[in-house]
Amino acid sequence: MKTQFITSLAALTLTAVASAQEPLPAPETSVPTGSFEFGSYGRVRIASDLRGGWGRTANVVAYGTRIDEDSYAELELRREDKWKGDIKTKVVTTLALFSPFFHFTGQINQQLAVRNLYAQGTIGKLTLWGGSRMYRGDDVYLLNWWPLDNQNTIGGGAGYQFNADTTLAAHVGMQRLENSYQSQQLPVVAPFGTGTVNVQKLDRPRIIETLKLTHLIRNGRLFKDPRAGFKFVVYGEGHQIGAGIYQDTLTGQDRGLPQDYGFLFGAQLGIWTGERDTHVNLFVRHARGLAAYDPLAAPLTFANDRTTMGSTETLIALGGNWEKDAFGLMGGAYLRFFRDGDVSPTTTQKYDEGTVVLRPELFIGEHWGVAGEASFQARRFAYPDPDRNSQPLVASMWRFGLMPYFSPAGRGSFKRPQFRLIYAATVRNNGAKELYAKEDVFNQRDVEHFLGLNVEWWFNSSSYL
Amino acid sequence: MIARLAFAGLIAGLVAAPSAGCVGIPDRGKQPALATHVDDWRDEVIYQVLVDRFADGDINNDWNVRAGALARFQGGDWKGLEDHLDYLQTLGVTTLWISPIVKNVETDADVDSYHGYWAQDLTQLNPHFGDIASLRSLVATAHDRGMKVVLDIVTNHMGQVFYYDMNLNGHPDIYIGGTGGSSPITRVSEYDPDWDPRGVQASTSLGNAGRAPLIFINEPAINRVPPPGILGTARAYHGFGRILDYDDEKQRMLGDFPGGLKDVATELPEVRATMVDAYTRWVELLDLDGFRIDTVKHVEHEFWQYFAKGVRTRLAAQNKNRFLMFGEAFDGNDSLLGSYTAPGELDSVFYFSQHFQVFREVFQMAHDPKQQKGTSQIKTLWETRSKAYSPTPQELGIGVPPNQALVNFLDNHDVSRFLFEAQNDLPALRNALTLLFTEDGIPCLYYGTEQELAGGNDPANREVLWNTKFATTGDTFRHLAKLTRLRKQYSALRRGVTKVVYATDHVADEGDAGVFAFERADGSNYALVVQNTNARHKSTTADTSSMALSAGMAGKILIDVLDPTQANYQVAMDGTLRITLDPQSAKILIPSDQMH
Repeated sequence: MKTQFITSLAALTLTAVASAQEPLPAPETSVPTGSFEFGSYGRVRIASDLRGGWGRTANVVAYGTRIDEDSYAELELRREDKWKGDIKTKVVTTLALFSPFFHFTGQINQQLAVRNLYAQGTIGKLTLWGGSRMYRGDDVYLLNWWPLDNQNTIGGGAGYQFNADTTLAAHVGMQRLENSYQSQQLPVVAPFGTGTVNVQKLDRPRIIETLKLTHLIRNGRLFKDPRAGFKFVVYGEGHQIGAGIYQDTLTGQDRGLPQDYGFLFGAQLGIWTGERDTHVNLFVRHARGLAAYDPLAAPLTFANDRTTMGSTETLIALGGNWEKDAFGLMGGAYLRFFRDGDVSPTTTQKYDEGTVVLRPELFIGEHWGVAGEASFQARRFAYPDPDRNSQPLVASMWRFGLMPYFSPAGRGSFKRPQFRLIYAATVRNNGAKELYAKEDVFNQRDVEHFLGLNVEWWFNSSSYL
Repeated sequence: MIARLAFAGLIAGLVAAPSAGCVGIPDRGKQPALATHVDDWRDEVIYQVLVDRFADGDINNDWNVRAGALARFQGGDWKGLEDHLDYLQTLGVTTLWISPIVKNVETDADVDSYHGYWAQDLTQLNPHFGDIASLRSLVATAHDRGMKVVLDIVTNHMGQVFYYDMNLNGHPDIYIGGTGGSSPITRVSEYDPDWDPRGVQASTSLGNAGRAPLIFINEPAINRVPPPGILGTARAYHGFGRILDYDDEKQRMLGDFPGGLKDVATELPEVRATMVDAYTRWVELLDLDGFRIDTVKHVEHEFWQYFAKGVRTRLAAQNKNRFLMFGEAFDGNDSLLGSYTAPGELDSVFYFSQHFQVFREVFQMAHDPKQQKGTSQIKTLWETRSKAYSPTPQELGIGVPPNQALVNFLDNHDVSRFLFEAQNDLPALRNALTLLFTEDGIPCLYYGTEQELAGGNDPANREVLWNTKFATTGDTFRHLAKLTRLRKQYSALRRGVTKVVYATDHVADEGDAGVFAFERADGSNYALVVQNTNARHKSTTADTSSMALSAGMAGKILIDVLDPTQANYQVAMDGTLRITLDPQSAKILIPSDQMH
């Protein structure tokens, strides 16, 4: 989707602060002017593996290419109001639908998630929000990934716009995932009557604080084109989780989990030309301890004191788009170094990985186009390769794709909706095959085919500007 | 200003990214070049490690650990063992005997395979204990310290990977019938049926239906799945059911081991080749120094001839020599034990007859004169050693005759600990340890003995060692450390020829009750070990006459190197020596001119 150079700026529209010199008038009932909005992001696909089976995604890295990604959709309902003076509010609700859908499985059990449920208010330079929210910055479209900041918490935040180009935003969020790392409920004998009641034995939410400073240089100070500019972001996170007690269900004994913490810092440099959707974003990020783990994922391995001490994640990522006349080129790449806290030097939780993907496009007229895609991705584990037992296991794959499409909204890589016919061939090395159980066909086949139909859209969504 | 800060952050990030470095396999985790690490196995002190119980070095492989339940996994691993090699070297250990490393059936009848003896796949490592890099690191670190590593292997049986479909209904049944009154209560388990000389039989309501099919079980959740290769086929197993009578040779050779451990048809050429290849491969991958071989008396001699030759030849071609193979035959019969050391077979066996007749009946029973045996029993046993066990080194073997390389032990994981049977008689334990470390052969210590663990039978004798905090200040630890140090200092205690110079039948109030003495002479190096095994009074090396030493010792001054005061004793000019020992005590006497 289009990158969000001014996401936070849009949320922090400047208005003058009323003077406090005069006596305050009597309170008045404020009647807002506003509207109900509906927005959506979505993609739905069908695909065959050309062997009679369903087209599966074959990525071997955390952020592989999205050409064969599965279906997903968001439905956003939003109320936006403008109150007296410079006060504005919005209330956002976003329901997410996860694949598979009813017409594929015949099961009436659609997986739904509330991905936004928050209210936001702005007064002058200050914006406040609270609720459950996807809270994130710019993405690398071809990898479907937000490399610098991507929070999914319940909490609240504030933003302050110093001027038209500089914004400071902070947020505090909390989440307690339903896993044995953070939460355990146990049935106990009911205090009255018969039966049992559940008690919360392990209760240790993760608290996350973020701080983000965004600065834009634009309006022709560095570029001749007044629409062009730079974007600089510095970003940091703090993570804390308290100590807790859980009951070892194998032995019935209480065991302790220590408090833990982590931090993250990162930066982004963006350049845009202002012509069509041409831009480049460079991201760097380093995390330690608990912050090395995505807030929606629990650590799998630990230091021997059961903390994430020693865990690190370092990444550098690049994403961009260029369009000129009838040609376009999208790209994405990253390198990521992940280390867990395990004392063992060899573990599947210590790895280097990366992806590089290029998607050249030919725009045919205003509504048609053909895209090609070539990508390479690899993950190198600090774990012995079963076939080359002194060498690390390296899973890698090349992927080549062709994608003719119809674009009703016009010419451009980020115009949506887009109706696509996709063919992709994935050539996998032995290491990639070894990631699968030997009973899985992915353990046995060198080449995977993917032939499918895909439609992707977004419109009027506060999450996809 | 803000732009500058942003750039500074960007540059800091770019610098941090490459500094993260690339992952790899550390050198210690890579395949080693094979080498011979042992000069003479009699110089070694073996320490038996039940890996799951020794030390937990990495909590991330603690799957299904039930702390405190000794029949379940406790969390020990190869990393933990590597982390505590200092502890073992302080004790004087030179060789680690590690419990089996291959992938097991995880659990059966609410007991886990923490011990490693329920093999499912001989080609894969057991992830409870680490990965190949951590195992290689252990072996490499041990070698760097001059220590060796012996691997425990099993060829007789596999884990419970199939059941006998005795009622032909396609799933495993356990049937319990009868009232215990008008009819006896019977229990039939298709997992582990009793021995049947015809092979386990199937039957239906209409009568006998012939041999019961062997049906491999597919329970991935506990890794009870068919083994790869020929061991995943019915023809690789005998299928006669569980041994009921160990004296029946046919049952012993063809029957399943109790617990439903399926007896492998080791007479099949493909099975033999598989066993040689599977286990030699681990030596090649890890640079191991020997095999401790389980349940050898349940496998035919022809197999051992094939296996020993196959392993030795393949390793010798890769410069791995003096590779020790010693077997476990849980039996007190010297003739049977010795038969596995016949030319072409194993280098050594556990000296089980000594375990029963000496350590149990002489030392462990010191608290009970009615049950304690006299030390003449030791002398008699040792006299049969040169006949029962082969006097000829094996071709391409360790270079030491089996009858001089028997593996001596007080206890192990299959018997209750010494202190359990001895009712926590610590002097008895230390006295027995003195014999273990001064007698002919290779001493083998069961983990935890140094910490005075006193568990009863399996699994009580498989305690978690880390609960002791690896203390090195205990009396037994220090006694052992001293014994291993003396054994290292004085070659006579390692390689000397043994001559018993005093033994007695007396166990009661006699003046020499419980006394035992033997000389060891390695060329000109000499040692005299004198012990009093009775717990009630002092005893003297004299009855009707005093103890007579070998010619040449007359007039010599002997120093007790076990004694902190280093008391000295002069041999009389007639070559006799009269020494009085406290109850359950020992002296290790070295000629004063040979003192280090």
